[in-house]
Amino acid sequence: MIVLEWLFLTIAPCDAAEPWQLGSQDAATPMMQGIMDLHHDIFFFLILILVFVSRILVRALWHFHYKKNPIPQRIVHGTTIEILRTIFPSIIPMFIAIPSFALLYSMDEVVVDPAITIKAIGHQWYRTYEYSDYNSSDEQSLTFDSYTIPEDDLELGQSRLLEVDNRVVVPAKTHLRIIVTPADVPHSWAVPSSGVKCDAVPGRLNQISISVQREGVYYGQCSEICGTNHAFTPIVVEAVPRKDYGSRVSNQLIPQTGEA
Amino acid sequence: MAEAQGDKTLTLSEQYHLKGNEEKANVGIKPEEVKEVQNPENAASKEVVADKAEETPAAAAAVASEESSGSTPTAVGEESTEDNTGAAENSTEAAPEESSENTENSGEQEVEEETPEVKLETAPADFRFPTTNQTRHCFTRYVEYHRCVAAKGEGAPECEKFAKYYRSLCPGEWVERWNEQRENGTFPGPL
Repeated sequence: MIVLEWLFLTIAPCDAAEPWQLGSQDAATPMMQGIMDLHHDIFFFLILILVFVSRILVRALWHFHYKKNPIPQRIVHGTTIEILRTIFPSIIPMFIAIPSFALLYSMDEVVVDPAITIKAIGHQWYRTYEYSDYNSSDEQSLTFDSYTIPEDDLELGQSRLLEVDNRVVVPAKTHLRIIVTPADVPHSWAVPSSGVKCDAVPGRLNQISISVQREGVYYGQCSEICGTNHAFTPIVVEAVPRKDYGSRVSNQLIPQTGEA
Repeated sequence: MAEAQGDKTLTLSEQYHLKGNEEKANVGIKPEEVKEVQNPENAASKEVVADKAEETPAAAAAVASEESSGSTPTAVGEESTEDNTGAAENSTEAAPEESSENTENSGEQEVEEETPEVKLETAPADFRFPTTNQTRHCFTRYVEYHRCVAAKGEGAPECEKFAKYYRSLCPGEWVERWNEQRENGTFPGPL
């Protein structure tokens, strides 16, 4: 029965962690897609090597037997085999390194100018998000705190320790710049679906540029031990179509700037 | 509703491609209604986008009110209800705290009349700061703004862009602290 529940009855949000999950979450950005592709490519060769090595090992164990081979061979040197088993294993990582570095550096690169900047500021133990592109003075006009929803207040269908009261709303299919920094101790801003895990270091601004390719709600958790409530500072990103983003921002701007 | 939007007719790659800094996509609350107005406005204002960013809310609000009075009342009613329910759903889902005021608003037509147009525009990527670490990017923009003001005088229009850049990049807390330091004369940068 429990197995059946695992198989069929689990609510499985595709952009959050789920019970007994083994693979990655569905990719939402080209970056995450690249990471998953690299993982699968490497895994193919990894399996080949695993099979090859296990075959050698099992075969040696199998034949090392007091009845079948009473007199074991006593080879301690073999120049050819030693050269081969040194050269090949050192070439393989080099070939793995090529696509790996290509991906790594392309993730850093900011190819186009971002359309919006969001500042994700970690606190003990909540997050503050600043949308300051629309400011006309040093006063913050669109800033909000994002706290986790306590277990007792969860509604049906919400994930425990993953929901927050104010989500980060971003436009989909738009180049985003996210500036990650904390106000106290090191934090981290990680959203697995978008392939982002960026440490927030005090006194430093880290930039990540992503472009979410589909609308949805993406969940992530703090990934740097930041104190007692480390487990209770989740991240929820909600990607909405561009026009909805526009209307949302203007709706939130009104209380501060409008009425004037 | 979505099909009516201008940029939806573009191919996928064109959609992803952001044109230069000057013309970032204009996103209004109700593209299907603003659309006709947006285009001439855009064409006229391409050169002065930097200045316009300041006045856009007011302009857009004016445009919106014109629009709603100009078009037939029934059409406005229908479309607005659609829009508003969408907006209300969004806000309730995303921000329970704010939902109360938003839903109140969005029940009526008020939202449409007073929503300023939001321009998706921010500090561009800077080749001086190509790495993940953007700390100096923020600092440099802040210093640039204040040097610009010192040179060109308070409120010089060419300095405004630096102000927008550093506000986009720097955490509010940092800006506050630096402002204080400037007042006290202890700011550690070359002003």
